[in-house]
Amino acid sequence: MRFILLTIVVVLLVVFLGPLVPYWVLMIGVGILSALILPTGFGGFMGGGLGMGFSWIGISIYLGLTTASPLPDKMGELFGGVSGMTLVGIVGVLGFLLGGFSGLSGVLFRKMITPRAKNIYRGS
Amino acid sequence: MKFISFFLAFLITAALAIVISIPIKQIPPLAPLLDPHHGFWQNTLSEDQLAKEEISLKNLSAPVEVVYDENLIPHIFAENEEDLYRAQGYVTAQHRLWQMEFQTMAAAGRISEIVGPMALDLDRMTRRKGLAFGAELGLKFLRENDPKTLALVEAYADGVNQYIDQLTPARLPVEYKILNYRPEPWSAFKSLLLLKYMSDMLVGDRDLEFTNLRAILGESKLNKLFPEFPKDNDPVIEASRVWDFSPISVTLPDSIAYPNEPLITAPLPQPVEGTGSNNWAVAGKKTKNGNPILANDPHLSLNLPSLWYSMQLTTPEHSVKGATLPGALGVISGFNENIAWGVTNATKDARDWYKISFQDEGRKAYKFGDEWRPTQERIEEIKIKGEKPFLDTVIYTHYGPVVYDRSFRGDRQDVNFALKWTVHEGSNEQRTFLEMNKAKNYADYNSALDHYSAPAQNFVFASKSGDIAMRIQGKFPLKWKGQGKFFMDGANPKMEWQGYIPNSQNPSTLNPERGFVSSANQHPVDPSYPYYVFDNSYEHYRNRRINNRLREMEQITVEDMKSLQFDDYNLQASEALPLMINYLGVHKAGTPEAEKYLKELGEWNYMAAPNQKAQTLYSIWFAETAESIWQELRSYEAPLLSPNSYQTIQLMSNSPKDSVFDIRNTPTLETAEYHVRAGFDSLLVAMKKWEETEGDYSWANYKKTSIQHLVPNFKSFSVSNIYTGGGSGMVNATGSRHGASWRMVVELGEEVQAFGIYPGGQSGNPGSKFYANFISKWANGEYLNFNLRTQDQSEGVLFQTRLK
Repeated sequence: MRFILLTIVVVLLVVFLGPLVPYWVLMIGVGILSALILPTGFGGFMGGGLGMGFSWIGISIYLGLTTASPLPDKMGELFGGVSGMTLVGIVGVLGFLLGGFSGLSGVLFRKMITPRAKNIYRGS
Repeated sequence: MKFISFFLAFLITAALAIVISIPIKQIPPLAPLLDPHHGFWQNTLSEDQLAKEEISLKNLSAPVEVVYDENLIPHIFAENEEDLYRAQGYVTAQHRLWQMEFQTMAAAGRISEIVGPMALDLDRMTRRKGLAFGAELGLKFLRENDPKTLALVEAYADGVNQYIDQLTPARLPVEYKILNYRPEPWSAFKSLLLLKYMSDMLVGDRDLEFTNLRAILGESKLNKLFPEFPKDNDPVIEASRVWDFSPISVTLPDSIAYPNEPLITAPLPQPVEGTGSNNWAVAGKKTKNGNPILANDPHLSLNLPSLWYSMQLTTPEHSVKGATLPGALGVISGFNENIAWGVTNATKDARDWYKISFQDEGRKAYKFGDEWRPTQERIEEIKIKGEKPFLDTVIYTHYGPVVYDRSFRGDRQDVNFALKWTVHEGSNEQRTFLEMNKAKNYADYNSALDHYSAPAQNFVFASKSGDIAMRIQGKFPLKWKGQGKFFMDGANPKMEWQGYIPNSQNPSTLNPERGFVSSANQHPVDPSYPYYVFDNSYEHYRNRRINNRLREMEQITVEDMKSLQFDDYNLQASEALPLMINYLGVHKAGTPEAEKYLKELGEWNYMAAPNQKAQTLYSIWFAETAESIWQELRSYEAPLLSPNSYQTIQLMSNSPKDSVFDIRNTPTLETAEYHVRAGFDSLLVAMKKWEETEGDYSWANYKKTSIQHLVPNFKSFSVSNIYTGGGSGMVNATGSRHGASWRMVVELGEEVQAFGIYPGGQSGNPGSKFYANFISKWANGEYLNFNLRTQDQSEGVLFQTRLK
């Protein structure tokens, strides 16, 4: 559940804060959200990654469709002769990696600073 | 353990963030480029999708309205000139910022800052030509002589800079994102530099080649192959013009000793072949409606973003519309409510070279007559992307900069050459255009031109009151016959320019009897003009075709003028091909390919339409014939010129057995016939190869007209293989990389009717739908309506913005 919550919150963060700040501020934001929501390490990685990756793919496709601009294809041609859709995929992977590692770092940071509970009865 | 896990994850995250934010060799930082909120995806938005009703622009005295028509042409309505040009700067930067900055960086020799060491040699050459030096002098001239114009140029710069200050990463032009740099502040200096850049683009010289030709051929043969006036001279100013002034006398030195050793240095880059233009105006007595009609189509390299940017600029006092140069104020070729004007290049060997004799290795002084004159050093610091700056010391003499010396292309020679041209003198071209934009009549036009120095232009004019005129305006040095054709000895004071032709004695004409004025880069005058006129690049065909047509046309309409601008008639072929077919005789008769090609050539009407195959055959055959004729000249190591096509055809026609056709190392005596046949053999070989590899040899497919992005490596931002006709030497001079960069036709009736088009689009953004949307219309010879608009006109409005 926390993983799903993190994914949704990261999507909202990227979509609404993204136009205002550079990508590295988003990475910090994903890390903080991940530390606050505290899914598992894998959940943090996947939640941050999917949230940011899907958002970036979604925005790229939205811009491509609403503008019908030839620019994605022209850029693809410029960068090794790939198509605009391939660039969308690359953007998705990039967003996934940035969000994923930010999410993982957030979870691990929270775990690192959280003291281990000492008053738990563990039996004898 | 928890610490190690976090540390590792954090390290990977940070490393990832850093790696994608820095450039790696030629690859730009990936994240800022691909981030859909700030990267190139944001450049997919067209201008109408980003339209704002209101934008903040400081320092205005009143709000300015900008109305964009459906072609994204802005119509700026301001209360006064300072507001107008501030808004022009802002609006131009909105649509063309990268281009205007890139062009001025090229003019300043600063391309290495953007692309790295590969441009160092180009930057050194640019700086050694002294374009920035010329712009500095231009700025000094404005400060000392014309603070009013300077204030307007600074208002324009302020407008550009306010846009740069407001620029968000998302709105940054995509070229900055790819090349990974940011725009720097604009300045009055940069606007002046842009006009110097135009001089560099349009002015050439062949002093080096002529110096070599003179040494190799001797004076007599040189004059035979390169006569200074052609047999069919149809000059810009009608030959019947009587020169009603007393010319200033020019003293011819008693003896002229030219530096005479053949030179093997590389010549300066020359204007691209095909760079030229047409303009003309017809008087009301020749038009159907009785109104003067003016037409202009400057031919330049075809680039994207387009060189031109269309605008209407309106104050309560005037309203002008036409083509602007992004970075310069006002309209360069256009019209207002009262007059229309246009420009073509009026080259006249404006660059001269002087051999400098330094006193010693220290180069602190150089010989001039009996004295040693001190030199000045200018240290050019060329910043290079990813490397330490390069310091280039350029020596300046009173002639100008020493372009070639021991540190630059001096590997073979111990000689030094200084470049003298009018670009290195303070001038005020900007004022010409500011005044022309407001001109109401012939007197205003003339007075505006008095401020114009370089590059020299043929300014055509027509007014609502019925006048038509042409004036060749530039700052032309007084030269004795032959001066400046060859490299000169800078130590001899007699080689100096002896002053300048007064503006009032520059060739001009008003309302000539023939009812039209025209120019197409041909000889400016006939030999009766009392000053020395020389250039190697004068046109011999477009001018005659235009004048022939204008002479025979009556009841002329705007549509007729549009058709003439798009005229594909190959006058050269009409004069040369019958001769060539005659000389070919029965050579290769009976071979199927030869029969096929000759049939196509024989049936040709000399129109170079895009689907025409004979034009392709002719262009190859003639080029190969000329190659065969001038093969000896082309075999020398030293840079030389071959006679132009016109002179070649004259020789072939009038003296086919002349010794110029003989190839020295053969036992037989070759004639023109031999070369025509050799050219035909080469045509067969070339066509065999072409048909095997490409198939279709229709003209458009053969010449492959393309409009190239200013960064040639950005191929996908260019438009290639455009289906259009025309070619070099034709009125529609559309070749593979050059052609009509702007076409305009204006009828000056009660209501001014105007039409215009250029091969590009109003947007400089390759992702915008307005980037290249004019190209298909331009290729088909169609035009956009360019009538003046009023502020309250509501039809055809794309969007409207208020600057306040």
